[in-house]
Amino acid sequence: MENPIKNISYDALVIGAGIAGGEAALNLANTGFKVLLVDKELSVGGKMIMLSKVFPTLDCSACITTPKVSEISRHPNITIFTGSEVGDIRKISDNEFTAKVTKHPRYVRVEDCTACQLCEKACPQNVRDQYQFGLIGRKAAFIPFSICSPKAAAIDIDNCTLCGACEKVCPTNCIDFTQEVEVLDLHVKTVVIATGFDMFDAKKMPRYGYGQYKNVITALQMERELAPTRPFNTILRPGDGKVPDKIAYVLCVGSRDASVDNPICSQICCMYSIKQAQLLMGALPMADVTIYYINIRSFGKGFEEFYQQAKGMGVNFVKGKIGRISEKEGGNLLLRYEDINQGKLQEAEHDMVILSTGVLPNKGIDKFFVNETLALDPFSFVGQSDMLASPAKTSIEGVFVAGTATGPMDIPDSILSAGAASSEAISYLIQQA
Amino acid sequence: MKKKKIGVYICHCGGNISDYVDVEKVRQSVEGEDIVFIAKTTMFACSDTNQRDMVDDIKANDLDGVIVASCSPKLHQLTFRNVSIRADLNKYTYVHANIREQASWAHSDNIIGATEKAIHLVRAAIAKARYADALETNKIKVTKAVAVIGAGVAGMKAAISLAEKDTEVYLIERDPIVGGHVAELGSLFSTTETGADMIKRLSAELLKHKNITLMTNSEVIENKGSVGDISLKVRTSTSDSDKNLITEINAGSVLMATGFDFYTPEKGEFGYATSDNVITLPQFKRMIDTQFDKLTYNGKQIKNIAYIYCVGSRQTEGENTYCSRNCCTSTIHAAVTAKQKFADINNYHFNRGLRTYGKQEILYADSLRSGDIYLQSYEDGLPTVITEGKKTIVKINDILTNGREIEVEADLVVLVTGMVPRVDNTIGSLFKIPKGRDKFYNEVHMKLRPVETVIDGITIAGACQGPKNIAESVNSALSAATKSYSILSKGELETDPLVATIDPEKCTWCGACESACPFDAIVKVEKDGKTIAEINSTVCKGCGMCAPVCDPDAVNLIACSSKEIMSMIDALV
Repeated sequence: MENPIKNISYDALVIGAGIAGGEAALNLANTGFKVLLVDKELSVGGKMIMLSKVFPTLDCSACITTPKVSEISRHPNITIFTGSEVGDIRKISDNEFTAKVTKHPRYVRVEDCTACQLCEKACPQNVRDQYQFGLIGRKAAFIPFSICSPKAAAIDIDNCTLCGACEKVCPTNCIDFTQEVEVLDLHVKTVVIATGFDMFDAKKMPRYGYGQYKNVITALQMERELAPTRPFNTILRPGDGKVPDKIAYVLCVGSRDASVDNPICSQICCMYSIKQAQLLMGALPMADVTIYYINIRSFGKGFEEFYQQAKGMGVNFVKGKIGRISEKEGGNLLLRYEDINQGKLQEAEHDMVILSTGVLPNKGIDKFFVNETLALDPFSFVGQSDMLASPAKTSIEGVFVAGTATGPMDIPDSILSAGAASSEAISYLIQQA
Repeated sequence: MKKKKIGVYICHCGGNISDYVDVEKVRQSVEGEDIVFIAKTTMFACSDTNQRDMVDDIKANDLDGVIVASCSPKLHQLTFRNVSIRADLNKYTYVHANIREQASWAHSDNIIGATEKAIHLVRAAIAKARYADALETNKIKVTKAVAVIGAGVAGMKAAISLAEKDTEVYLIERDPIVGGHVAELGSLFSTTETGADMIKRLSAELLKHKNITLMTNSEVIENKGSVGDISLKVRTSTSDSDKNLITEINAGSVLMATGFDFYTPEKGEFGYATSDNVITLPQFKRMIDTQFDKLTYNGKQIKNIAYIYCVGSRQTEGENTYCSRNCCTSTIHAAVTAKQKFADINNYHFNRGLRTYGKQEILYADSLRSGDIYLQSYEDGLPTVITEGKKTIVKINDILTNGREIEVEADLVVLVTGMVPRVDNTIGSLFKIPKGRDKFYNEVHMKLRPVETVIDGITIAGACQGPKNIAESVNSALSAATKSYSILSKGELETDPLVATIDPEKCTWCGACESACPFDAIVKVEKDGKTIAEINSTVCKGCGMCAPVCDPDAVNLIACSSKEIMSMIDALV
């Protein structure tokens, strides 16, 4: 449906509908404020909705995100724009911001789509599925992923040949190629930034062979292999579809490494790797799992116990940084490393390697603001103007920050940070009223 | 009565259940039961799609109730109650069966047994659903005030945040002054402000708010009522103990921010209290804050400092198996500060793997650049402190140099003591706050409800929940403030009608129920010339403690009636 409203206003604008943005929006909405929640992806839920199980409790991630997502989608005080981007944010006065929201066409009328997948079957165009992190393909007419919200098809127009096959099979005639980019003028009283993080691109470290050796994958790809809605329905190495039995984790890929311009620790990789190792031990009882680490940072509530549990299950922890990975004939991989305990250089053969890539800032947020400066920290995360006493405050009064937009953090910390950001935003709305 | 029509939904939980419980077999075993109209399995019962399907099923088939067999109702009871409401069904006609925690997770070693048990649990739920009545919720008026207990950095921030939201706050502090541990701190990592200055700034902000009543030297001694309407008695000590003041306050919610204690090493633990130059990290921090030019201890100038990490944390033989989270950063910050402030300082860090997570890594890198020496061991090769004449020597087999034995003659040994739960837990017992394995206060769910406790209306903030640094404490304090505020903001609260009732015919007033009630919800009344028990339904939690002690069987629990429970037992055995 074309949105006839060109000028819209809300109490709060929340940018980013991941777990932090969602939590902040819910807190604001539950205390009576009207919220516009904007995400550039086709679904809400951010990165968390893509994960398998989460540490240290091993709850399935979908079991936590989907009900939250459902609550957000159904809340009378929350309006969601997916596939949309915010820009040109201006502070007019205290309590008054304007912004432009660009809604990209989905070429599907969401309210009519039943997610029957007939368009998917009819579409002749195959492309790599970004929501499975490239492990498998999808069509140009596609449902983003099985638990996405809104659950509706979308047309990937860049890869579409406009053959019309999807339109012909659609039983509800919800495919609409006439949709256009829509730009809305927005008035809000406060802004919460929850734009999340980017993962380090493992291709930037050619010595680990990602993108070159097929059996070297990233931890996010392994998340998908382990998820309940997993693409292969088992654990496979992508090179030849063999079930791996000697798996290696390489920690600190793109973190704690000045040579790739990221000297800080990503805070989550130790724990997600330990979690995946435990899940792999469950899924493949005969497999050996080795984690190569510098320091294990299991600092949160229940984390150290989770680490000890992994050791007890037989996960092999080797203190040493991997220097280089090379591929052997047949697809196995040779890892060269300094074994700190032995005090010498070693080589080990594994049949699958998982790179535990780090957390990077989701850059460009500061460019959204036109008449005031959103200060960034030295690592390009959103700067915190009163880091210890008011961690959610930014350099612009009335603009608050939640979750990993301020730096690496795990899910519990992101949710608490979102709680703080929404608390500040609620106070701001009440005080300025 | 017309026969009920029930829908049963059995969840795979994406493998959490279906890996060990044959959900299809469960479905087949119950679909034939007389009141079961629909029986389905679903990948995620809680997903939006399934919720929509349930609503459609209920409406299309005119169902009288639903059963969801999935995870613990602690997680999603609310989710499915809301589904019932959306389908115009009374929310109390939905019954839950927990086949994850109680079947698949508990019996992952026995697939046949787990399936068998799940079938019984679902049958029991069906038996209950047969008798489950439609009920109306109780509405109570909410007192728009929050009692914040503990005026450390978390309690202060929570109080300010609530006051900004036009909420009345009672900030209750046991000590004569506010600020907790942070007030004792000098220089802080990542800011130029000292801990003491930060507390001064927050105090000034506190005082600006007229709706904050600050009560120092004060302790809560009595707790009555429940969410929305809690009454507390607060005792304020004065110099003359006969003149202690007792104040009664009313609040809709209580926010606990009672903080932590530092671990106190045992006598002889790394030379503590047996060697004369072994101190703890908090003592060391005070030393560097209060001394100038030269760092001295017992009159002797300090040059070589040995820091022994994880004292009282990550214990392999002791109770504290957890990591205290902020001591690594705190120690390195103190070491770097000492080196900058005093001449000729050499820092030796005897650690177990540094945990300067996130941006704190920069501090570790700075310390390495300034020449600090790091020596590491695993839990089975901890360093030892030896006194030889007047010398104190710290020894370690350092894994970073291939296990070589290294000795450092230290002028001062600093034990990096971790955070432990408050030793005095009077306040925790008063509010019956549950504790986790680590003995800190426990949240309902780390990710879904991280600042709420199982006691309705009581939220937790800061380090009373587990080790946290200042920013993390503040985040949790503001989150807890938001939760407490959202309880009050509507002015009215719905409570479950799941309470006990008394049959005045049967009751003979023996007083057994009154003494069994942990919530003081039962009182003796005269009614129609007969002395009987009466339940205060706003205070009653429906815990059921009164039911089994009642000899004449006069107590009936709404939604857990004898009929319902007996038929569930029949289905289970």
